[in-house]
Amino acid sequence: MRLTMSLPLIRRAVLGLLACAPLLAAGPAAAAPDPAATFVNDNIQKGLQILNDKQLSQAQKREEFEHFLLGLVDVRRIAVFTLGQYRRTASPADVDAFVAAFRNYAVAAYQSYFARYSSQTLKVTGSTQRAPTDYIVTSEMIDPNDSGGKPPLEVDFRVRTDTGKPVLVDVAVAGVWLSLEQRDQFTAFLGQNNGNVRALIAHLSDLAQNLGKPTQ
Amino acid sequence: MRSPRQAIRTLLLGLCTLAVSLAVSACAAPSPQALAANDPLEPTNRAIFQVNRLWDRCCLVPTLERYRAWVPAGGRRAIHNFLGNLSGPITLVNDIAQGEPDRGGQTAERFVINSTLGLGGLFDPAGRWGIPPHSEDMGQTFGVWGINEGPYLMIPLLGPSNPRDVAGITANVLLDPTNLIPMKQHLWWASFHQYMVLIDLRSQTLDTLREVERSSVDYYASMRSLYRQVRAEQIRNGKPAPAKDLPDL
Repeated sequence: MRLTMSLPLIRRAVLGLLACAPLLAAGPAAAAPDPAATFVNDNIQKGLQILNDKQLSQAQKREEFEHFLLGLVDVRRIAVFTLGQYRRTASPADVDAFVAAFRNYAVAAYQSYFARYSSQTLKVTGSTQRAPTDYIVTSEMIDPNDSGGKPPLEVDFRVRTDTGKPVLVDVAVAGVWLSLEQRDQFTAFLGQNNGNVRALIAHLSDLAQNLGKPTQ
Repeated sequence: MRSPRQAIRTLLLGLCTLAVSLAVSACAAPSPQALAANDPLEPTNRAIFQVNRLWDRCCLVPTLERYRAWVPAGGRRAIHNFLGNLSGPITLVNDIAQGEPDRGGQTAERFVINSTLGLGGLFDPAGRWGIPPHSEDMGQTFGVWGINEGPYLMIPLLGPSNPRDVAGITANVLLDPTNLIPMKQHLWWASFHQYMVLIDLRSQTLDTLREVERSSVDYYASMRSLYRQVRAEQIRNGKPAPAKDLPDL
């Protein structure tokens, strides 16, 4: 009696499992990391390794880091964003000159920001798709020397894939987005200087030179 | 290094400049850029910022340099732990007020473990056992409750803030249980406590802020942006900003 009642149930369960089989098979593929997370995972640790490489001189480190950074980052997109509302009134020649000055400044500033984390390890913890070609990848910097139970530093990356190839457009350290912070600074500077983009270019060039020098 | 007389003269000069700047800026209407940056008092704030920098350079940084030279890293860590543990009850009240019972439980556990096994909070055994520290204040709680931050403010000697955080600082003083302990020299204790909190906080941020100043085009605007973003992140308890809140880039 018990067996006759359970047979239809068993049959239904087997049929149900068979019906779900394609979904189960598709499961791992759906959980595969997106291109932005893979891009961050594969590349950022390389940058930290360059900064931590004791074999390289300061000049070699800077050269390698510059090459590495410019291969990953969409400098023009960031530079134009940081001009804020002044982008509309700046001449194309001034914008081009600004992008060139920003490139040198960004290399020096990013090298300076990330040098302090060079001995740490990056672990990607997730990724969110903000728009079809706009991703936020979340990660943690693990400090192998920390034994005090300090929570790991959170570092987020904004990655765009408009051209098919992922590029980095912003980084947030402990919740502070660098491009936003730079835009706030540059637009404040331009506001104090009647929107004079050339004054900003001159200032950025001086800063990039100073950042390249060792600290006192 | 500056002599105390030089430092006082520089500070007095800075205060005179501040008074003149405040008088001039009080008459001026806020610029469109200042309004766009939610900083309608920008000229006044910038003047106070300059005086704060003088105070920082002439008084705080020399003190910090001596603090770092005389107190070894382990001692500074113990002071940091002790001050953090002392603010545990304030964090606990705010965890509860924010509707975060799990975080409240962590705070209570940390307070009990560190106050006893950690010798009054000088050591952090709770952190080693996987209960990480976190800090909450009334400014953050007001933010969680949906109260708007209001315009950006630069507070003399204290630094960046906004009306919501000023109200939060006042509420924190009222919440602080150490202020309820009856003692004859209470003012001295409260002043010493706040001074040590300032020294500890500034000591933690000394190198980072030097780097920020060195790489800034406009240090004032940079601090304004950093303060806002950091406070927003603290209100979210470290969670990433909602993707829709980020600008198109």
